[in-house]
Amino acid sequence: MNTKDKIKTNEPITWCPGCPNFLILEAIKQTITNLIEKEKINQKDFAMTTDIGCNSKIFDYLNLSGIYGLHGRALPTAFGIKLANPRLNVLSFAGDGAIYSEGISHLIHAFRYNQDMTLFVHNNQNFSLTTGQSTPTSQKGYIIRGENKIEENNPINPIKLALASNATFIARTNAKDIPHMVEIFTKAIKHKGFSYVEIMQDCLIFNKDVNNKDKLMYKIKDNYDYKKAISLAEEFDYNSKNKKIPLGIIYQKKEPTFLEKFK
Amino acid sequence: MRLNILIGGSAGQGINKISQIISEVLTSYGYYTFNYRDYQSLIRGGHNFNILCISNQKIQSNDEKIDFLIALDKNTLNLHKNKLKEKAIILESDKFLELKKDMNLALAGSLIKILGIPESYLIKEIKKHFNNINSINAAKQGYTYQKEKYNLKRLNNKPKIISGSRAIAIGAKNSELDFYFAYPMTPATGVTNEICLMNDKKLKFFQPENEIAVANIALGASFAGKKVMIGSSGGGIDLMGEAISMQGISEIPLTVYLASRPGPATGVPTYTSQSDLNLALNIGHGEFTRIVAAPGDPIQAIELTNQLIYLAEKYNSLSIILSDKHLAESEYSINLNYKIPLVISKKYSNKIIKKSSYETNQLGNSTENQNQVTKNINQRLSKEKDIENQVKNFKTYEIYGKKSSKNLIIGWGSTKGAIIDAIEDIDAKFLQILYLNPFPESIKKELQNSKKIIIIENNATSQLRELIKQKIQINIENRILKYDGRPFFTDELNKKIKEIIK
Repeated sequence: MNTKDKIKTNEPITWCPGCPNFLILEAIKQTITNLIEKEKINQKDFAMTTDIGCNSKIFDYLNLSGIYGLHGRALPTAFGIKLANPRLNVLSFAGDGAIYSEGISHLIHAFRYNQDMTLFVHNNQNFSLTTGQSTPTSQKGYIIRGENKIEENNPINPIKLALASNATFIARTNAKDIPHMVEIFTKAIKHKGFSYVEIMQDCLIFNKDVNNKDKLMYKIKDNYDYKKAISLAEEFDYNSKNKKIPLGIIYQKKEPTFLEKFK
Repeated sequence: MRLNILIGGSAGQGINKISQIISEVLTSYGYYTFNYRDYQSLIRGGHNFNILCISNQKIQSNDEKIDFLIALDKNTLNLHKNKLKEKAIILESDKFLELKKDMNLALAGSLIKILGIPESYLIKEIKKHFNNINSINAAKQGYTYQKEKYNLKRLNNKPKIISGSRAIAIGAKNSELDFYFAYPMTPATGVTNEICLMNDKKLKFFQPENEIAVANIALGASFAGKKVMIGSSGGGIDLMGEAISMQGISEIPLTVYLASRPGPATGVPTYTSQSDLNLALNIGHGEFTRIVAAPGDPIQAIELTNQLIYLAEKYNSLSIILSDKHLAESEYSINLNYKIPLVISKKYSNKIIKKSSYETNQLGNSTENQNQVTKNINQRLSKEKDIENQVKNFKTYEIYGKKSSKNLIIGWGSTKGAIIDAIEDIDAKFLQILYLNPFPESIKKELQNSKKIIIIENNATSQLRELIKQKIQINIENRILKYDGRPFFTDELNKKIKEIIK
């Protein structure tokens, strides 16, 4: 059996047909396959945590150890795994609903702690599994089904939040670009410290208004300059339909990891 | 012989320090002490006091009426004069104002002299805390100022002073626990401080951003092969509720320390209460089992903490150690003999291992299959029997007092000390329930064999009484309940019991 087959499961996949989650899953499998084959990391030395939402179904489709956690709690669960077992490569998968709403405090503190683990945020700018409610990164004007309302508030800019919270690795990628995802995912996992990767993703069912922004996306060179990072973060405000969206490593710096500091 | 000493003043005047020094002098002289702390939720000012009870015999409570009043400020005298016994002695700070912050030591010195204990015992303890000439002189000045009134003889007892919080920490260390996680909350924080004070190579502490993180980090660490415990008081435990339910489905071992204070909400934060028994028995949505035990003294706290960590690991279960402010923060003097701890070893699986907040199939992936869901729930609930059988090897309840008596008093947790001390001159026995779940149903015969049953609890709704009704279908008529944030005092309780058992 080849590595890629070993890391998949035979569970029926229940994402909507055409959902970019299929592409994210493929990119993750490629990334992990590479790390197992080229970097000789043991399959059992990966551990994943997820929360609750469409994105987190990835837990059932990957043959890796881990915890399918509570909504919003992927990060503290992952933090505990890494703290207890530093040899593990810990990966967390979360949606924009869970991580920017219910789990926002954990995200801010994760930046601060700099535990050596990786977070993948599947950001389709709305709650999907609960059938179309607004999240903190939903665009102003988002139509909230079932509530007969539109989102009246501006979205937060999580990249700016990360920069303000002492993040040591911030990247953004596109769910429709597998090679770019693999490149960014690999760099994120290899980063010594807490890596935050935002994956911009369409929701074909509940947030069609912000789909197909690929033409606005452009790739940047890996950036290590804080001021430049702020201007990159500000280019896209999660509302705009015509502003450019930078992809790549928006900011990276070296700082002691949590376990290097922990006594 | 039993003497009650009230030491009062404003926060920051060193009330705890002198209670500690007086206790140490007395225990080193062979006497038993019990120190009750009554303090407000403030850092400087206000009015705080300790009641230090001393005896030539084992004691684990204090009286409300006092023999000595040590007043570090005028307010203390005004607030407590109604509690003075007829021949009470008052020691006031105005004789030692020039000593400023050391006047508390002078008052400690005065008391030690009155009790008739040689000065060397005092100086030895003072030096352990303040090795400077001013402090030593202050103590000596207070000692010289007074005349001997009691002639306490040197005794051969060698008790150790220990708080409930310290005992929980010892129980955790004895279990070879790896991590304790907590967010600050009175009265649970004592365990954090005690664990950190141990400076143990293995047992580490971390304070995350909130109690929700505390509980989820603990589940992650437990999953990854470490033994973990988390702690808080009612409000913090409420926040952990969802993760506690997650424990229920994922069966990742978890031990929770719950130190109660009066609620609802912030309530009376630095005082005591037994109002969270129902919380411990019920927290977490969905149906799953748990182990709940409530120690009533430091030795029980050491042993039950050990048993509960062991049970959580052995049965992939949830264990809740239920304590309160009175047990956590009172200082007992005891002979530190406890059972050899049970230690269970733990490793991270060498297979792919998946745990989930969803119902899962054999591979650990999500399922909605109706047969599988039923099977999983049955499997999880079935371990209740196994736990019950294992717990039978432990003491699940204790009986004290006159064992042949037909008058039965029932209680749980921190009321143990006051009840035992209060029934010394009463024809009664006392049944202390240690395990609240699994419930020791064999106590039924004790209740059936008794003529008069009284339940004593530090809460308003008599939660143990309801539990007994549910578990063994016996309705207890007589209740002594107290829910003003204060523990039961021995003299007060003695009177109340005598009103029922005439």
